[in-house]
Formats: sequence, C-alpha cells, structure tokens
Amino acid sequence: MKVSEKYFDQIFEYRGEWDLLSKCGLRIVETASKTYVIVTELYQDNPGSSVTTVAFSLCNQICEAFSLDKSRVEYVECAPSTNSKLSFYDSQFYRVTFNGTQPVYHQIEDLQLEINS
Amino acid sequence: MKFDIIYPRWNKLEGQTTFTLPPHGPVVMAAALPDWVEPRFTDENVEDINFDTDAEFVGISMMLSTQVKRGWEIATEFRKRGKKVMFGGISTMLHAEETTQYGDSVFLGECEGRMEEVFADFKAGKLKPIYNYMNQLPDINLVGPARRDLYKRELYNHKGVQMVDLFHASRGCQFSCYPCAVSYLGGRKFRPRPIDRSIEELMTIDNNRLFIVDNSLAQNKQWEMDLFREMIPLKKKWISHTIEDDPKVLDLAAQAGAWYVYQAVFDTSDYIKERIKRYHDYGIGVEGTILLGLDNQTEDDIKRLIDFLLEIDLDLAEFTVLTPFPHTKVYDDLLRAGRIFDHDWNHYNAGKVVYTPKHMTAERLQELYNYAWDTFYKDESQEQKMFNLLTNVVLREMNEGTYVPRNRKLINKSFGNDVIR
Repeated sequence: MKVSEKYFDQIFEYRGEWDLLSKCGLRIVETASKTYVIVTELYQDNPGSSVTTVAFSLCNQICEAFSLDKSRVEYVECAPSTNSKLSFYDSQFYRVTFNGTQPVYHQIEDLQLEINS
Repeated sequence: MKFDIIYPRWNKLEGQTTFTLPPHGPVVMAAALPDWVEPRFTDENVEDINFDTDAEFVGISMMLSTQVKRGWEIATEFRKRGKKVMFGGISTMLHAEETTQYGDSVFLGECEGRMEEVFADFKAGKLKPIYNYMNQLPDINLVGPARRDLYKRELYNHKGVQMVDLFHASRGCQFSCYPCAVSYLGGRKFRPRPIDRSIEELMTIDNNRLFIVDNSLAQNKQWEMDLFREMIPLKKKWISHTIEDDPKVLDLAAQAGAWYVYQAVFDTSDYIKERIKRYHDYGIGVEGTILLGLDNQTEDDIKRLIDFLLEIDLDLAEFTVLTPFPHTKVYDDLLRAGRIFDHDWNHYNAGKVVYTPKHMTAERLQELYNYAWDTFYKDESQEQKMFNLLTNVVLREMNEGTYVPRNRKLINKSFGNDVIR
C-alpha cells in the first residue's frame, strides 16, 4: 500500500491520537480566494493515527505550523489509490468541514477543476 | 497485593459451533506484573465474576470490540463497590477514548516493563488516568512466559477434550491490510521473539495442541524456518495463520507439527486452489477465512465464491462480513463515505452487517452471510468437519506417542457446564 508521491509535495509530521508520531502527505495550494490544504493518508508509511482519525487536530496543527489563516482554509482529505488487493477505491478527495470537532465529509468529484475554477 | 484480572464475556455468533479457548492477552499481561502482585484470573465466558472480591485492584482485559460495552458495565459494578479499575488490551486501545470514561485508569500499549510503575502508583494512591505507551514498544526479550498457571483448566474442556493453548512467537506486522488494525496496535515492524525464549515457553505448556496466534508467520522466511526447525523435537501440534508459500518452509512446518492453518480466500483463482493443495500435500489442513461484503463483490460474486469453496476441498471455512473496526483503512473509507449506519460495538462481531455495502443492501448481505454458512456446511456439519481434523491430529499423536486420551472425569462437562445428552 505504498502511496505515490504525485499526491503530495511534502511529508508532514503530526501528533496523532495519544500523541503518536504520525505522518501524512501534504500539499498547500494558494488561490485567489482560498488556501487548499490537502492531506494524504500514507497508510504503511504513517506510523501513527490516520488523517481521518484525528482530522480536527491535524487541520489545526497544519494551520499552526504554516501560520495559515483558518478562515481561508479549504481542508481536503485525500484517500489515495493504493492498488491494494482488498481496497477497491480509486483516489478520492473529500472536503472536510467541522461541526465542533467532528468532521463532516463531502466528496469532491474533481479537485483540480475546483482549484482552477 | 491481590489483583483480579477480568475477561468480559461476549455474545457468540448465532448458530455456529463455539469452542471457548483460554485467552492469551490476560496471562501474557500477568507475566509482566511485579513479584509482589498476586494475580487471579476470571474469564466471564466460562464462569461468573465475584464482584465482592477481596482484591485491592481490578484489571479488565479486552480483546474484541464486542467485549467493550460489557467491560464498561463490569467496571461500573466494581467501582460502585469502591474498587479501582484499570483497562488494558487490544480493544481498550481501539476504543480508548470511550473507555477512559469507565475506568480509573487505561493502559495503552504493551505492558512488559511498565507494570512496576503502574502498581507503584496504585500503591501510592497516585494511579494515573492514562498510561500511554503507544509510542514506546518494549524490548521483545521481556515478553513471557505467559502465566498459564492462572487458568482454571477444567473450564476450557469440551467433553474431556482440552482446548488448544494460545502462544505467540512474534509481535507487530509489516503488512497493513485493508480490514486489519494490527499495524496500529502492534506497530508496523515485525518483532520476532528470540527463538530460544519461544522454545523455552513452548516447553512449559502442558498441552500438546496449540494455536500460534501471531498475525502472520510469513514475515521473515529465515526466522520462520529457524523457529519450525527448533519446534520439531517438541512434537506439538498447532494451528496458525498463514505460512510462507515455499516448499522448504511448508516441509519444515509439517515436521514441526503444523495441524491446520487459516488461509484467506478472496477469489476463485487457480492461485488459491493451488495454495490450498500445496498445504494439503504436506499434510497441513486448511480453514478458509472468507470475508464477505467487499466493494468488489456482487451477489453473484459471493455465490460463485461459495461454490468455489465447495470445489477446493477446504477442511473448514469461516465466513465473516466486512466490519469497520476503528483504526483500519476500511473504517476511514466507510466513515468518510457516510456508509456506517450502526455504531453499537456489540454488533461489531464480524457476523453482523453494520455498513451499507456497495452492490446490495445490508439486509441482503446479511442473508448471503447466512447462506454461506448454511451452504458450506450443508452436507457435513461444522462439528463433523472439526471432528475430522481432530481425528487427523489424534492419529499423528498416536504415531508419535504424544496422544493424551480425553479426561474421563470431564466427559459430561462442556466449558464448566453439564452436558445434556
């Protein structure tokens, strides 16, 4: 379940559940109106909590680390295709909003199109 | 100091033959306790809990998601009586945040080398709400030997036949399979125990039949072969998960006493057919483990898979439905897609559908799960097939002079209960 580097520009280390050292792929894209923060689950290369398990905390950790203006941030989770025998998904992107600390997921059909628009 | 370790009961899957095995986690944990702690063990699956215990401290050990709610109830009862309660074990780690609400303390991680601190804190009245060792895996040399002396052996006996003992030769898993949480729990690094330590422990087990519960033995071929080679003189007979698909390894496994293995069957390919044949060629039985409800399975695919199982000469088959246990990829995938509709952990028993499948309704998948069990065991019951496997091992034991006849005193008992004939 190795994740292709095409999904991210850098590896971001974060504190997972119970302070577990965790890693995700990260791409930050600035547009005129928004800052897209795209986190990618790394599966076998993530030693700790998944990006989904700690979505709210991870979003905050990234905003803090990169001094991002939260009101501009469009937070996106990427579940990359891994060509695993048992996982049948192509890459999927979800816009994540937060109801308090609880993530709410909205699938994005074409992220690139959305960023370009 | 008296310390009661409790293993909560759970509801067994309906209509299936159930054998209660002596649990492994609690006795492995007990081996890590300081000398001045006197552990006692109660498995609620085979005996009642004494809530009015004279123990000073109670530990609740949980392995399955279907145990956690009962574990919380048990903790509540003990705490009403003024006892301090600590949780530990695999499903404590999977459901840690919720579990913190029900205990005085929650232990996360592996316990070797940590219990001195926990019990010293308890003695000093300074028990911490969370002992977080998720990031610090202990030295594998510290593991075991498990305190199997804590078992009430007669309770793990069916009509005079002693159940297998559980044993582990490694921890961690380098694989990170779609439905599995092992890599989260035990780390993504395969950590074999030193072979001499494993062999020493095996020699202490007063049971010729074992279940080697390692996640997969097929993680390091050289280690696997060395382990099997050292096991040959012990003449144990054992069940395990997958063994490396290599003639040399299979030959050594057979010599070391491989009885039967759990082998995942995902598709109807010749590869699977050949894989099973190769085990059989070495005299190793196969229990197929079949996961139903994956996103690539339609109703027709499931029916075709069941027909295939009947063709490939499996000794046993165990069907489960895909279950999104926390800290697995399947959980994240289904959660994001809004497909999990049931969050009652009592239903996370791998026999109840708790999510919306891709190609059918949840109800239809539930029906197909029942259909799979019924169809596979239509001509020969599960109990009969198990008896065939037992006969196989008895004959091998008789040839090797290791056969222990059934205990006549327990011939009318099954897991502590009277057998009604």
